[in-house]
Amino acid sequence: MTREERRAESGRQTREAAAERAAIAVRPEEFQQGGAGSREKVFELKGVGVDYSGATAVKDITMDVRRNDVTALIGPSGCGKSTLLRCLNRMNDLIPGASVHGELLYHGEDLYGSAVDPVQVRKLIGMVFQKPNPFPKSIFDNVAFGPRILGRKENLDEAVEGALRGAALWDEVKDRLEDNAFGLSGGQQQRLCIARCIAVQPDTILMDEPCSALDPISTGKIEDLMIELKEEFSIVIVTHNMQQAARVSDRTAFLMVELDADEDNRWGRLVEYDETEKIFTNPSDRRTEDYVSGKVG
Amino acid sequence: MVEQTRAHYQAELEQLEASALGGLDLVSEQLGRTIEAVEQQDVELAQQVIVDDDRIDGRYLEVHQSLIALLATQSPVATDLRLISALLHVLKNVERMGDQCVNVCKLIPLTGNEPPADAEMLSRVVTMGKQARTLISQAKRAFEERDVAMAQDLVRQDDVVDNLNRECFHLALEIGDDADKREWAMTMLLGARAIERIGDNAVDIGEQVAFVVTGLFREFEDASHPDG
Repeated sequence: MTREERRAESGRQTREAAAERAAIAVRPEEFQQGGAGSREKVFELKGVGVDYSGATAVKDITMDVRRNDVTALIGPSGCGKSTLLRCLNRMNDLIPGASVHGELLYHGEDLYGSAVDPVQVRKLIGMVFQKPNPFPKSIFDNVAFGPRILGRKENLDEAVEGALRGAALWDEVKDRLEDNAFGLSGGQQQRLCIARCIAVQPDTILMDEPCSALDPISTGKIEDLMIELKEEFSIVIVTHNMQQAARVSDRTAFLMVELDADEDNRWGRLVEYDETEKIFTNPSDRRTEDYVSGKVG
Repeated sequence: MVEQTRAHYQAELEQLEASALGGLDLVSEQLGRTIEAVEQQDVELAQQVIVDDDRIDGRYLEVHQSLIALLATQSPVATDLRLISALLHVLKNVERMGDQCVNVCKLIPLTGNEPPADAEMLSRVVTMGKQARTLISQAKRAFEERDVAMAQDLVRQDDVVDNLNRECFHLALEIGDDADKREWAMTMLLGARAIERIGDNAVDIGEQVAFVVTGLFREFEDASHPDG
């Protein structure tokens, strides 16, 4: 091959490589920002606020929660994370003097519409609390409780096994289903509560600091479980553990406390809501950066 | 009501940044002595540069270990995480630049006590070294001041080094038939190439500055796809 031929061949290869690159190119900005996507929305909040007996607890929250995502709510104590979470299944209805305003849509329907039954809402949108709260019953009866209330009498064994498997607890309890639930460890009790929650086949699970009373091993199991559960359910979690939010969630909302001019009144306000990777690598708001870095308390 | 927290961690991170960037001062000093050794054909000075590379390697190991410990114990996120990632890159660049000075200094004894030096080519190699030192100090300042424009300007400064390197190549091609002179020119070309790589490392540091500031990593110039 002459020198000219080698040059021509090299040029051809370069052009081919460039064409190949263009065909498979991933634009760095898309890669680095995680790709927003436009999945179905489970919740749409528009200017949502909550008052307790006239005192504002959270104000003007506008955000969407996507289907099959784990959405984390983070922020300092008193910023209204749990209040906001409780709005999502009308748990605030149970608190005297609480009122929710703004627009809160669930699958496009007004969650606070006059025709909506809060009990039905809480069946579809289950909740797991900070401390495991099993009933003083057997493991089986704990999980069967919801389906029985809903009138299910047949195939209860199947439903209980399915829920316990879903909560990654079946293998640990299958030989002692009639034992009292209080005999389980803290982590197992919390997974039992998750099993009880999913036994009524909700479409969304709300979790209010579900691992704060658990050791790191049990926490790891619950976190693994969340990642498995999101295949089937949408999950919204309140957590004080930054790393937990970073590990398990797809999107993260950061709320912080805002004060009025006299510093007499305080309420929670949404500062930033974005892909979790963005929040923990390159947040847009300085206040988010300071909070997730632990620079302010 | 806003209270600053994690003061010890912040102080440690600042100190590690200063140590990592201080590595650039060590490299600049080494490069200065390397240029002098080339210019004066000073074999002893070259030997000293080779020995002193241990200081740069020591700095690399010390700061690298501390940054890994900080990652493990403090779970840094956001700007802190980008800064630590960038500092790990900078340390690698510092270590590589130190090695390039060693590479140049190892060539000096090979050219003999009274080499048949070509003044034009020697002057270009020396100018390249001085320009590379400018790049190193500019990269350090850009990092310290988080100045993306200053970091991007490193590309322009590096072009000067690249052009001088090409000129050295042409001068070597035309150096004549004398075998000793040709050997000297080939050896100098290797040295020029090492200095040219130091310039590239400085540009890499500039890219890390942009990453720390913007959160997006971009090569300022893509050498493998120059036409985009």
